[in-house]
Amino acid sequence: MKYQHKYKKLIAITGLFVIAMGWTGCKVEPILDPNNPSTGGLTQNAQLAELQNLVVGTEAGMRIYLGTYLDNVSMIGREYYRFAASDPRVTGDLLGKGGATLDNNTFYTTNPFDGRYRDVKNTNVLIQALQNTKADITDAQRKAGIAYAKTIQAYELLMVFNQQYGNGIRVDVADPDKLGPFLSQEESLNAIQNLLNDANNDLKGNTATLPFTTTLYSNKASDFSKLNRALAARVAVYRKDWPLANTALSESFLSLTGSLTDGSYYLFSTGGGDLLNPLYFPRNTPPAEVRVAHPSFITDAIPGDTRLNKAPKRDATATQDGLNSDYDFFVYTTNVAPIPVIRNEELVLLLAEVKAQQNSFPDAILAINRIRTAAGIPPYAGAITQSALITEILFQRRYSLFGEGHRWIDMRRYERLNQLPIDRPGDDVWVQFPRPATEN
Amino acid sequence: MQNYKRLLLLICLSAPVWLFAQVSVSGTVLDGKNNPIQFASVKIKNSNQGTSTDANGKFSLTIPGKGGVLDITFVGFKATSVNVTAPTTSLIITMQEDVGHLEEVVVTGLASSTKRANLAHAVGTVSAKQLVGTTPQATVDAALYGKFPGAAVSSNSGAPGGGISIKMRGITSLVGNSQPLFIVDGVYYDNSSINSGQNFISKAANQGSTNFQENPSNRVADLDPEDIDRIEILKGASTAAIYGARAAGGVVIVTTKKGKTGKPKIELGQSIGWQMQLHKLGMRSWDTAKVRASYGANGLNIYNANGGKTYNYEDELYGVHGFMNNTRVSVSGGSEKTSYYAGMTYQDNDAIVKNTGYRKTSIRMNLEQALTKFLDLSVNANYVESNADRGYFNNDNTSTSMGVAYVSTPSWVSLYPDANGNYPNNPLAPSNWMQTRDLTTNNEKVNRTLLGGRATWKVFKNDKHDLKIIALGGIDYYTLNTKGIFPAVLQFEKNGNGTNGALIYGTTVTHNDNYSALAVYELNPNNGFIFTTQAGVNALNNDLNTVVNTATQLIGTQTNLDQAGAIQVQENRIISKDRGFFAQEEVNYKDMLIGTVGVRGDKSSRNGNADKLYYYPKFSLAFNILPLMDVKVLSLLKVRGAYGEAGNFAPFGAIYSPLVPINFNGTTGSIVDVTRGAANLEPERQKELELGVDAGILNNRVGVEFTWYKKDVEDLILKVQTPGSTGFATGWKNVAAIENKGVEIGLSAVPVLTKEWRWNAQVNWWKNTSKVTRLDVPAFNVGAFGASLGTYRIEKGKSATQIVGIGDDLDKVDPVTKLAVFGNSEPDFNLSFNNNVTWRSFELNVLMHWKQGGDNINLTPLLGDFAGTTADYDKRDLDPKGQLSNGDYRASSYGKTARPFVEDASYFRVREIGLSYVLPKELFKDIARVKLGFSGRNLINAFKYNSYDPEVSNFGVDAISSNVDVTPYPSAKSFHFNVSVTF
Repeated sequence: MKYQHKYKKLIAITGLFVIAMGWTGCKVEPILDPNNPSTGGLTQNAQLAELQNLVVGTEAGMRIYLGTYLDNVSMIGREYYRFAASDPRVTGDLLGKGGATLDNNTFYTTNPFDGRYRDVKNTNVLIQALQNTKADITDAQRKAGIAYAKTIQAYELLMVFNQQYGNGIRVDVADPDKLGPFLSQEESLNAIQNLLNDANNDLKGNTATLPFTTTLYSNKASDFSKLNRALAARVAVYRKDWPLANTALSESFLSLTGSLTDGSYYLFSTGGGDLLNPLYFPRNTPPAEVRVAHPSFITDAIPGDTRLNKAPKRDATATQDGLNSDYDFFVYTTNVAPIPVIRNEELVLLLAEVKAQQNSFPDAILAINRIRTAAGIPPYAGAITQSALITEILFQRRYSLFGEGHRWIDMRRYERLNQLPIDRPGDDVWVQFPRPATEN
Repeated sequence: MQNYKRLLLLICLSAPVWLFAQVSVSGTVLDGKNNPIQFASVKIKNSNQGTSTDANGKFSLTIPGKGGVLDITFVGFKATSVNVTAPTTSLIITMQEDVGHLEEVVVTGLASSTKRANLAHAVGTVSAKQLVGTTPQATVDAALYGKFPGAAVSSNSGAPGGGISIKMRGITSLVGNSQPLFIVDGVYYDNSSINSGQNFISKAANQGSTNFQENPSNRVADLDPEDIDRIEILKGASTAAIYGARAAGGVVIVTTKKGKTGKPKIELGQSIGWQMQLHKLGMRSWDTAKVRASYGANGLNIYNANGGKTYNYEDELYGVHGFMNNTRVSVSGGSEKTSYYAGMTYQDNDAIVKNTGYRKTSIRMNLEQALTKFLDLSVNANYVESNADRGYFNNDNTSTSMGVAYVSTPSWVSLYPDANGNYPNNPLAPSNWMQTRDLTTNNEKVNRTLLGGRATWKVFKNDKHDLKIIALGGIDYYTLNTKGIFPAVLQFEKNGNGTNGALIYGTTVTHNDNYSALAVYELNPNNGFIFTTQAGVNALNNDLNTVVNTATQLIGTQTNLDQAGAIQVQENRIISKDRGFFAQEEVNYKDMLIGTVGVRGDKSSRNGNADKLYYYPKFSLAFNILPLMDVKVLSLLKVRGAYGEAGNFAPFGAIYSPLVPINFNGTTGSIVDVTRGAANLEPERQKELELGVDAGILNNRVGVEFTWYKKDVEDLILKVQTPGSTGFATGWKNVAAIENKGVEIGLSAVPVLTKEWRWNAQVNWWKNTSKVTRLDVPAFNVGAFGASLGTYRIEKGKSATQIVGIGDDLDKVDPVTKLAVFGNSEPDFNLSFNNNVTWRSFELNVLMHWKQGGDNINLTPLLGDFAGTTADYDKRDLDPKGQLSNGDYRASSYGKTARPFVEDASYFRVREIGLSYVLPKELFKDIARVKLGFSGRNLINAFKYNSYDPEVSNFGVDAISSNVDVTPYPSAKSFHFNVSVTF
């Protein structure tokens, strides 16, 4: 009797205990990141304002390591020297000084590469967010928004390709755990072209406005298509697809009569936390940290070319690491000057190139002269052959697009890298950057 | 029902007996030398009744019925029982000293304890006497130095208010938490180090190293050491497994004082003292040639304009003799059913730099109440207010911290203000440190409340069965206000040099709570076996929210955030939720074989899979061999082994893939972070095996504890490079494992024990070595400032604490990595030697600590060399080629070899010394016990190390990059005069 009591008690208590365990041992719900919005949350159901945040983030992210990229291509393209006393690799590795080569795990290789793919990632998040959002947008807007994201994605991939070139690039990077393969050089450019064309199908003739605002071009889908086509024209020219380039140009914002500076730009501001133009240095900055024009930019110029104001004479010669220049690199004249993504001056020259390649020489010369007149030099009077015109176009591109990241790529696509000047015995002109170590 | 009736009957029947049959007892409790033992507990066996002895060891009480057994207990003595059957007034009870502390009861489970003689693992214990008995202590962690083996307790700098790193048994983590878990009376005690935002001025975490170097204090500093009754230290997973997912860094279990049955005991304590710079480096002596060599014509002009006069700036900056005051009151006592303890401490310490110091007020109330025969309740409440002015020191990249500015300024530049209080600009450095010292504020203020409660339900008890259910929980709540004021008038703020003044105000609100419910069942079938079963559930919630406001472009001398042209806000939150259970079974066979098996299961929102249970098992076995042997000389011989596992979370946020804010064209956008979160990240797991032998010799006059352990930390988390095409440059991964092996030897002895003399000595010796056993990524440098100045390097097969750097032709440079190994921060060994000598009423305590080996990356001299100010600049004992002076040698080595920057940081120091005298009690009519004393901390130091103190960490409690010295707040030594009165 007595023991029974005790056992009952024991059982009761054990029972209570089990209940207590059940209560506290209950499910632990995951806690969302209390400090930041999560990728997961936004891709499932983003509000309009959050879509806008992603767009702003994407356009801001386009500028990350843009300065490194432009220094890389401009140095190798012998447009200007970046002197950096704090880092000898800039004038060493990039110009191939002595036995120096490009490193596959150093900032100049990895930072622009990582920066561009980071932005590609952001466009993928934006695309997913647009696909799933329950915000009040029309289907046309959704399509336009996605097309916007794809356009930027294609452009960012093109920037990666410009450095990687023969290595090819990965285009399918939506799933970080299942990265797509490295495509060949040709496939890479084709994929970029397809991405642009694909996007344009949803932009062209779409009367909707984008479900957010962009600083890159118009908020109207049909207008944004003109930026898409401009980029498509550039890619088509890189691919030597002249008919496609021709069509794309005609659908782009190309204007032979309009301002040459019309176009799409990276913006900078002095606002708190914002970036300043990374290529800006005041004139006559001491040689320790400065950008100075490559001397050949002055010596090769046609006298009177107003574009020489991009390289004004310094008070004193800047010297570092066996390199000298009397001229500042002064394309960007304030610390908030915008840097072009693509602008009309390039389109006019692309038109000239396409026409020359298609043997429509008068059309090509018309475009060339638009540029020459603007630069204050006499109309073209050279030989009217395809090869002479191409040389002329590359020359005009060198001066018109100085410091905008084109020279090296132009010389590379016409296999003229051997024509770039060598400043020190043993210097090299690199064809491409190595594939980053982390990708192998 | 039947039972209650019987009980009632019994009560009725026995009532008259209570009235008439009782035995009055009074007597004295004495120690082996016939000295009275004060506050020994005298209890009637199997009852709640009892009392404690007074200042003269006397007690009196009444035993109901025909007498019974009295249990007499006191810390440090073996428990004694006396059978009393007849009234007496002159009972003399002599207690035997527990020399080897074998009777000491040590916590082994969440709700059970074992006497030390039966323990299966090495648990460090520190008693109140060891903790604060020698000299006043500012913080608990600082009081732990050298008092138990197996830990590296190291202060990060001498800044007032704490900042101490405790690392148990080597490297526990690479990027995660490496500090132990603190549990105070069952309440999880937050020990965060929260940065104040000073980096805005110092830009220390900008280049070279992205880690913060603001030297914040860690919050265990808020605990008043005087309130502590005992501390148990579980050093590794073999003992700490029962604490599960957060226990990999070890667990420090703090038990605060309780009242004892008996009349009220009142203790008053007052101590005053002074602290001063521990080690002066001196200053370089100058002449015109040296000035010209270091500073050229410009310097020479300044030097000559001032007539070649030099100032003793070391004394000016670090020469304050800070007054220290410590006032203490406590009252404790209790009746049969209630006991209470109340303690209050007020501490006010000025430090060695003007305008710095530490003030703390702590109030504690502990209450225990037997509600009914079967229900006990205890409540602990603690409120602390502390205020630390910590100065502005450590590394920076702007030459504005006082430490950096001091070494950058030669002694012939006048920094003194003019008659109107206007400070001159420092012509040779960006900051006038005297102006900084006098005008800036770097203050940490804490208001903290700690509440804990415990209810014990004695469900059931008889000869065979004993079942208890315990519910306990508590809340730890504090606000930390950090205040940085950098007025616009400062050299580095005005005239476009800075932001025209800055206010950096931070507020952290922390709310943590934890609850447990557990049952303990003891079964004694009276066949030699005793089974103790316990099981329970556990819940822990953390919420920490830090907001830092940084205001710049200040209006005049205003210190209100409104009075600023620009303001920036940063918020950081840490929220987590843990739920777990545990179960443990202990079997004791005749105190000969004691085996334990236990498991803890924990889930936490800190894991990628919040609902996944992670299990942490433990096993242990102790075997007392002695009963099987016939060795007279031994009183204990035990072999023991224990194995356990414990966890450690990834740094907060590692499981998230956030979109971070980015500013653009006047608006803000979201962009994926450069680091990819890993939702599938596993917690780090430590597996520890510990084996040991304990022996007691000559009736425990000599005790030996030998412990060997092997601690493997697996699934170590690192931020590793990922393919950039994923969109992320880095990602969190479980990629490494580290093995720590070590030996700990403890030796305690009473070499002298006579009627008047007594010498109690304790020696601890310990050593740890580590090895990286798994590394899925290429070897990498981590910590400090890169290879040119010396850095740590994680490399498979090598020690986790090796220090490498670039080298020249005198170094063994690896041809592939271009790095040479220059040292290791792991000491060869540590030895602490504690002596307690008593003679009559005098008592002398001396705690010595010898750390042999272990290197620091010492950059303080190099910074001085760049400015030509190092005291040993002109000496010539460093350059192996014998050509250059020390200063030139170090400065010219920069960029060629890191060899001169890695220095042996061995030291010997008398950590604590105290002499006290108890005045003859007759002077106070036997009412009070009055003790006078003199004590000191760090009074004797011996080291060759070329900076203020080899014990230093520029990076605070960082898991790996400790032992880096960059112009810290110098350490102090102190002495104190103490009086205590006990009624």
